[in-house]
Amino acid sequence: MLTRREFVKLVALGSATLLLGCIRNVKPVQTPAETATPTEYRTEFVLGYGRDHRLKGGKWGIGFFPKIHVLERLVEYDLKKDEFIPCLAKRWEVEKNGKIITFELNRGIKFSDGTELKADAVKFTVEWLANNHPLGQETFEGADVVDDYTVSIRYKDEGFFNLAKMAEFHMSIMSPKSVKPEGDPKGNFVWPIGSGCFKAVDYKEEQYAVYEPNPYWYDRFGLKPKFKRFVVKFIKDEDTRVMALKGGQVDAISDFIHGGSDYTPRNQLSVLRSMGFNVFKRNIPLTWIIAFNYRKEPFNDVKLRKAVDLAINRYEVVKIFDNQVLPANTLFIEDAPGVKEAKAQGVIYEFKPDEAKSIVEENGYEGLSVDMIVDKNQSDQILVAQLIQQKLADIGLKVKLEVLESGAYRQRRDAGEYDMRLYYIGGTDRRFYLRMFWRFYPGQKWSAYVSDRTGELCKKILKEFDEEKRKKYLVEFYKAIHDEHGVVPLYFDIMTAVTAKDVVADYYHMFHYPNGIPFGEPLFYYVGVRA
Amino acid sequence: MKKYLIRRILQIFPTLFGVSLLSFSLLYLFPGDPAEFVAQIRYGVEPSPQVVEEVRRELGLDKPFLVNYFHWLSHVIRGDFGVSWTEGEPVSKLIMQRLPASAELFFTTFAISIAFAMILGIVSAVHKDRAIDHFCRIFSLLGISIPSFWLGLILIWIFSVRLHLLPAFGYDGLKHLILPVLTWSFSFMAIKTRFVRSCLLEALSQDYVIVAKAKGLKERVIVFRHALRNALIPIITYFSLSIHHLIIGSVMVEVVFSWPGLGSLLVESVFRRDYPVVQALVLISGVVFVFVNLIVDLLYVVIDPRVRFGD
Repeated sequence: MLTRREFVKLVALGSATLLLGCIRNVKPVQTPAETATPTEYRTEFVLGYGRDHRLKGGKWGIGFFPKIHVLERLVEYDLKKDEFIPCLAKRWEVEKNGKIITFELNRGIKFSDGTELKADAVKFTVEWLANNHPLGQETFEGADVVDDYTVSIRYKDEGFFNLAKMAEFHMSIMSPKSVKPEGDPKGNFVWPIGSGCFKAVDYKEEQYAVYEPNPYWYDRFGLKPKFKRFVVKFIKDEDTRVMALKGGQVDAISDFIHGGSDYTPRNQLSVLRSMGFNVFKRNIPLTWIIAFNYRKEPFNDVKLRKAVDLAINRYEVVKIFDNQVLPANTLFIEDAPGVKEAKAQGVIYEFKPDEAKSIVEENGYEGLSVDMIVDKNQSDQILVAQLIQQKLADIGLKVKLEVLESGAYRQRRDAGEYDMRLYYIGGTDRRFYLRMFWRFYPGQKWSAYVSDRTGELCKKILKEFDEEKRKKYLVEFYKAIHDEHGVVPLYFDIMTAVTAKDVVADYYHMFHYPNGIPFGEPLFYYVGVRA
Repeated sequence: MKKYLIRRILQIFPTLFGVSLLSFSLLYLFPGDPAEFVAQIRYGVEPSPQVVEEVRRELGLDKPFLVNYFHWLSHVIRGDFGVSWTEGEPVSKLIMQRLPASAELFFTTFAISIAFAMILGIVSAVHKDRAIDHFCRIFSLLGISIPSFWLGLILIWIFSVRLHLLPAFGYDGLKHLILPVLTWSFSFMAIKTRFVRSCLLEALSQDYVIVAKAKGLKERVIVFRHALRNALIPIITYFSLSIHHLIIGSVMVEVVFSWPGLGSLLVESVFRRDYPVVQALVLISGVVFVFVNLIVDLLYVVIDPRVRFGD
């Protein structure tokens, strides 16, 4: 006999099914014990992702995801060792203090269309970037083919930064067939053809991108792909992405690999883990900070910046993210070059509210009202800003919080009409030095803080090829930023990928190339869904 | 009646002129120098004053406002809205890529909402203060109060996560259409239901209804032939005003369900300061609005004899 409640439930379910007139083929959930042959995989892997892959190009070229999975770079970067590692290039020689770098390519690397990667492809990419890409335009002078496997790249300026830039997303090498007319450095970009693990086969803007394994790449590393098609569905809303994973419509979800936006809600990670999903998480050298409008009053006063710095309890900040991110007691994560050494010398950001309050009182700042602007689109940052508002109220500062639409936020930021805002420095590993340039080098548009001392040190860091000297400058730089309280580090961001129970994946392959090169961005060459 | 029609048709020209002028002025009304902005997009770094001036000359922004306006208008009339500053693609192409998804979502929602709003509004008015009326009013209140994004997520949770009946996102056939339409229709029909109810209640309180009742006419005849027909003019006017939702009304639904429509294109373009796209979408929205209003005004002639006979 059915109870009344059960009867109502049954009728409601039946009515919904009849009304909607369509029943999905419910995917049977298999436990490992039920799986007859664990090595059999489904032909398709579906990933939910928050950003369009822009496979037809755009102002900054194709998206970051295809730049990592379809294309490869001459070098890669190992953050822990602060070393640039051979990738497409076997070795390189630096001339004229980095004004020219000659790269010798590995033999036998093929693009996904079967043509071999030779020096002419590198020359083409460099020239195409120099003509069409903002970063290429400010970096390259040109390139010369020395022989089939050797190419000399000429840079506009001298310095170590030229080598560092070659590991950057935007410097990925593409086939001359990616543009029309074919091989024309001024040609129109048509479709990415690279030597990376995937080849792009289909794309619909704002809807999906379809990739297939690049057989030449898998052969090169002696691997076998576990799927025939890798489908990426673009799901803008973060909650919808999570629910699509829970509902079994995607096999995995991942953060936008640029870092800092379009990510899986951090407070969902432990929930997903408790539900049996696999959560892969990696700390990256991307630090969220308070950036000051330090060129005008009142934050041109280092004492006031220091008070703000000491008033922030970073352990409370990370609670907003369900403790999934780490509090930033240093400028970058400890894996970043020079951070451990700087920490050993006492460069640590601490929470000392009493001292902060004394500074405010002693310098007559009590009751001072300051404007803080926040981008409405970054909901987590609104919470962080509210916490900062509360913490600064505790030391006697009034923060007028303005949550603005993205366009309005940018206008206020560009016009310098604010006192404080939330910003980020660093990026995924490969962007460590590029963001050092963008955030701390004198005269940059997207700057976080520049003083004579930090600016000079930043210049030295980006010029210096010698690792030890560079580290020394980095330590001095961290110390200078700390002394001047140029920025207030809040927390270190992470990069995540979450996979369903039936997905075969592991942390090592998710964040390493098959030959052991560490990657800050999740990689999907090794994943598979059990059949 | 002819006079009315001619006058009404002639009125749209100054309106269209105003709409086009306003759309074009956006470029000048937004803060910041558009030439500097384009230079930044192209070169990625802080552009030098020389580069900004070059871009200004290239875009023709150094010419007087009216010269630029008429140049732009002459292209727009031929369907050429220029090239997107951020995508580098013709604006018309970007719009045409998104229009089918927007139209599909809007017209399905529009049709369903109007049908249900009419039914619920009439039922509610006819059975005023009875249980069914209370139900309809609570339903309307919920529809107005519940935010679309929240309702969308709840529906995804029920139908996708729990029941595995419908897809949570995407634009790929009828199954994908159901949840976005359901979400949007709920709020769309809520206000309209209340409007239909109040219009019909007002009509039902008129003297001619009392006369009709005294004559012994059936309630169905009184409601549908007399009261509803008289209530239709404000209802049609109100419904027609919702046509602007075609472009801007579905942003939240588009975001939650990853629906590639015009709403999200407009919002993205505003954020990226892609003025050619914003101008085109504002202009199209205005033009559609003007023409729908014209059609509605012409419909009055059919519905209301007072308009037909120049009363």
